[in-house]
Amino acid sequence: MSWRRLRTLLRREMLATYRDPFTMTILVAVPLVALLLFGFVLSTKVKHMALGVHDASDSPASRRLVADLAAGGTFDPRPFATREALERALVSGKISTALVIPPDFARDFGRASGDLAPGSARPEVQVLYDGGEATLAGNAEAFLRSLVSATGAALVETPPRGPKRGTGVDVVTSALFNPTLDGVPFMVSGTFGFVLSFLTTLITAVSIVNERQAGTFDQLQVTPATAVEILLGKILPLGAVFAMDVVLMMVIGGLVLGVWPQGNVLFFVSVSAFYVLVSLALGLIFSATSATAAEAVQKTVLFSIPLVQLSGFAFPIRNMPTIVRWLTELLPATHYIRLSRAIYLRGAGPLTLLPELGFLVLFGVILIGYALRTIEARG
Amino acid sequence: MTRRRGRFWSNAMAVAYKETRILRHDRAFIGVVVAQPIMMLILQGVVLSNKPANVPWAVLDWSRSEVARRFVTEVEATGYFLPPRPVASYEEGRQLLRRGDALAFVVIPRDLARDVERQEPRVQVLLDGSDPLSAARVGGYIAEVGAALDLGTDHVEDRRPQRPRVPVRGPGPIDVRQRFWFNPTLADRRFFLSALAGMLLTNLCLSVMSLGLVGERENGTYEQMLALPTSSLEIVIGKVAPYVAVSYVLAFVSTVAAGAIFGVWPRGSWVTLAIATLPFVLASLAIGVFVSALARTSAQAVFIAVFFILPSFILSGVIYPYQFMPPGVREVGGLFPLRWYQIALRRIIERGAGLVDVAGPMLALTLLFGVLLLGIRWRMKPRLG
Repeated sequence: MSWRRLRTLLRREMLATYRDPFTMTILVAVPLVALLLFGFVLSTKVKHMALGVHDASDSPASRRLVADLAAGGTFDPRPFATREALERALVSGKISTALVIPPDFARDFGRASGDLAPGSARPEVQVLYDGGEATLAGNAEAFLRSLVSATGAALVETPPRGPKRGTGVDVVTSALFNPTLDGVPFMVSGTFGFVLSFLTTLITAVSIVNERQAGTFDQLQVTPATAVEILLGKILPLGAVFAMDVVLMMVIGGLVLGVWPQGNVLFFVSVSAFYVLVSLALGLIFSATSATAAEAVQKTVLFSIPLVQLSGFAFPIRNMPTIVRWLTELLPATHYIRLSRAIYLRGAGPLTLLPELGFLVLFGVILIGYALRTIEARG
Repeated sequence: MTRRRGRFWSNAMAVAYKETRILRHDRAFIGVVVAQPIMMLILQGVVLSNKPANVPWAVLDWSRSEVARRFVTEVEATGYFLPPRPVASYEEGRQLLRRGDALAFVVIPRDLARDVERQEPRVQVLLDGSDPLSAARVGGYIAEVGAALDLGTDHVEDRRPQRPRVPVRGPGPIDVRQRFWFNPTLADRRFFLSALAGMLLTNLCLSVMSLGLVGERENGTYEQMLALPTSSLEIVIGKVAPYVAVSYVLAFVSTVAAGAIFGVWPRGSWVTLAIATLPFVLASLAIGVFVSALARTSAQAVFIAVFFILPSFILSGVIYPYQFMPPGVREVGGLFPLRWYQIALRRIIERGAGLVDVAGPMLALTLLFGVLLLGIRWRMKPRLG
């Protein structure tokens, strides 16, 4: 290992990388576009969802209920004259939620506020969901029920009196770290994992193959440069660009999306920088073991699909079957995304995250070691 | 005129024949056609789910009462939760939340038993809001259990914990009777698998097609083709035709596999499905051709293709419902053919919709295809060097 040789290699890579406008555009544009798009994708604040309403009761109470549903901006009620029309709209997908208010709705209300024995003939509404849109239905359900029960409580001036038949514990929920259950911070912190796993691997995956096809890699190997120096020369300049990307994404995420890291910024950047080295090494392995650039990229893409879907970026890992959950632990991205969410969203420090950090270091040692061997083997 | 048209088709077919011969030896292509569908089928059918499962949670029980124990048992009995982790202090529970070792933290106050007598029992639940979708649902489940909890002290009857997978009746003054159509258990599997063909075709059309023209240009065979008496339109048609055929095979196989393995058979007709697939395949292939015309090297082409595929998965609504997206992003997603195709697929496969119901998405796809054709024409002027 000689600093002089390494410096020369670094200069060579930097010139080659920074001079290529296509690569530089991708390196800067992709993280930012990914951040802005993904940041906005998952908003749990449901807005303006088409809600089909068939109001057979057409009473002050039912109109009040519909008006309350519209008021929050969550639902856009659309009246349907008949139940058949409503069901047709649901089948064709024009609406994904439908509310049916039966003719005796108002009458039941009169009784509910009277001295009726509790538990009998509560006023009833029917809600139909398009279960095909499972996520949507699951979330619309929560909104709709809370709105309906709030209106119901307001309509029944005197709550049902007498002993409540002894059911029900009032559950007061509050969300820590993100009280409004806003989706943006979740996606922003995950996007770091996505960009730093995927873009890094993809960029390095083509680097060695391209050089080999151009014949410059053989030239490199006959120089006195050792494998370690070649490896470092390859990954350090890109590492610098990605470290810059991390800072850039943090600033844009903060200024545009209003999501600043809760934890220590320096800690986050250094964890990210280390993770960049890990995934750059992975890209080098793909690159060194492929014959053509297209093959290297195909490998990366095949690898990246489970990465998006299994690493916890898009789907919670705990919902998966047990064996798959074990497999996800083998992806470095899983651990990095867990770390970045913990630091970014919950402000966790190094001590609480020690096990995850250990995993990341372990992966780093294995992958960088293996990358070295593949480079040496070709020499 | 007829003579010219005859030559047009024979030229296009000659290019198509050449293209098919090459395809059989293309390893990357075989990877896309064989490995990816199997992987995606497993992922979409078995692995992915938005429905909470194995939720880690902690309980701080100050009251140590029978009601509290029953509440905890009932929450666990919903089947969404792991066995609860008892903690001794408030601080310890918050620490678990911070570390991500618990998603929910239930705090049961000291006087719960007394509050039951007074008719206002109350427990506190702290959720890890950093994962908002899960948090919202988990909070909902716990509240649901709480609302349905039987507090009657003289109940001795054997109440087996049931799994209220889809709560039918809710608490509150208005009785909300709800039904989930098309997918009564809200199984995510139906949701994901019905869009499977769309994801596979996007992958296939873009990643393979985008390499097509660039590869020829790099190898110098594009110049050879230009020297032939074939027009650029004939070349494009000849290159595209085999992929249309492969796309149909892939769509058919993946739909049959989703049905045979996971029981998600289309409720609509196969003919509707086949007709709706055509504009999507054409639009996706056109994007591939466009990318190919845009890129200088095959590495660039793959880059552009990949950075088109991934956002289209996320923005089109195959993973997250597009109805959740805010206005601006929703429209951006509309630029991806996959958005319209997945709408059509879900209508046909899940709701059994007919051709009339998917006319809108098909029109959008045809429109996209037309715009892309213009773009290709503008970009594909024969050029050398």
